[in-house]
Amino acid sequence: MMLLYAVVPADATVPETRGLVGHRLETIRGALAAVIVEECSDRLRATNDESGAFAKIICDLATRTLMLPIRFPTLLTTTSVVLAELQANQAAWRERLSELDGLSEVVIRAQWAQPDRDLGLASDSSGTTYLVNRASAIHRREASVAEITDLVRSCAREIKVLHSQRGVRIACLVGNADVPKLRDAVLSWRQAGGHRQVVVGGPWPPFSFVDQEAVGA
Amino acid sequence: MSDAMESWPDEQVALIDLIDRVIGGGVLITGDVVLGVAGVDLVYLGLRLVLAPAHEVDQSVALLRRSA
Repeated sequence: MMLLYAVVPADATVPETRGLVGHRLETIRGALAAVIVEECSDRLRATNDESGAFAKIICDLATRTLMLPIRFPTLLTTTSVVLAELQANQAAWRERLSELDGLSEVVIRAQWAQPDRDLGLASDSSGTTYLVNRASAIHRREASVAEITDLVRSCAREIKVLHSQRGVRIACLVGNADVPKLRDAVLSWRQAGGHRQVVVGGPWPPFSFVDQEAVGA
Repeated sequence: MSDAMESWPDEQVALIDLIDRVIGGGVLITGDVVLGVAGVDLVYLGLRLVLAPAHEVDQSVALLRRSA
């Protein structure tokens, strides 16, 4: 089995790196792009620990080369199967790699100090009260997405709202030099009050922007 | 994976988001899988299989239903 890590430019120089199961990462090259893989005879359990270790390897590699990370865990049976996928997709991958040069992903997670507390208390009350509080929570969430999106629009090339059970999560594709500016913009939103909590994750490889489905900023 | 962040350090919250992106984002390539129990391979599936977080599968199913 081959564990796939990332798509990189065909001429990328990949530093010698050990993979998740301890083998040296290999690069399978096509004319337009290449895929970083690890031979993987052991079973992958895809636990949080393994996912975290995979993420660290990907983030380390991303400091050395432009890349499209591949979703974890993706296993293909042989090198020839990887080559077939590469040949089928390398033109599109190459184009997206060019577009993402110099850009990283930042994820903004925002919520309130007592998120949806009223909603929880209302769960034992009448249906109408519950629905009114639920509508209020949804409205607050949508308003926050709009506010944060407006704040980061000037420095984010693309924006994508991610699923979140509480609060909001927004992925932004940002020029590497603009990451501090985006952090400052988000900080200003937190300081506007209302018991707001914000965590800015990244910069990371563009996990949420490997294709062009995201909404343009 | 909980979305609660009020009692966790920022680094831990960011790590959770990173892991979410590792398994929920990235290039999608259909693959193969070996199913097993307690370290013993039971069956090899040559299916075209994609692993994804349940919430993303839910969204894809909803989109498919809307387009049907």
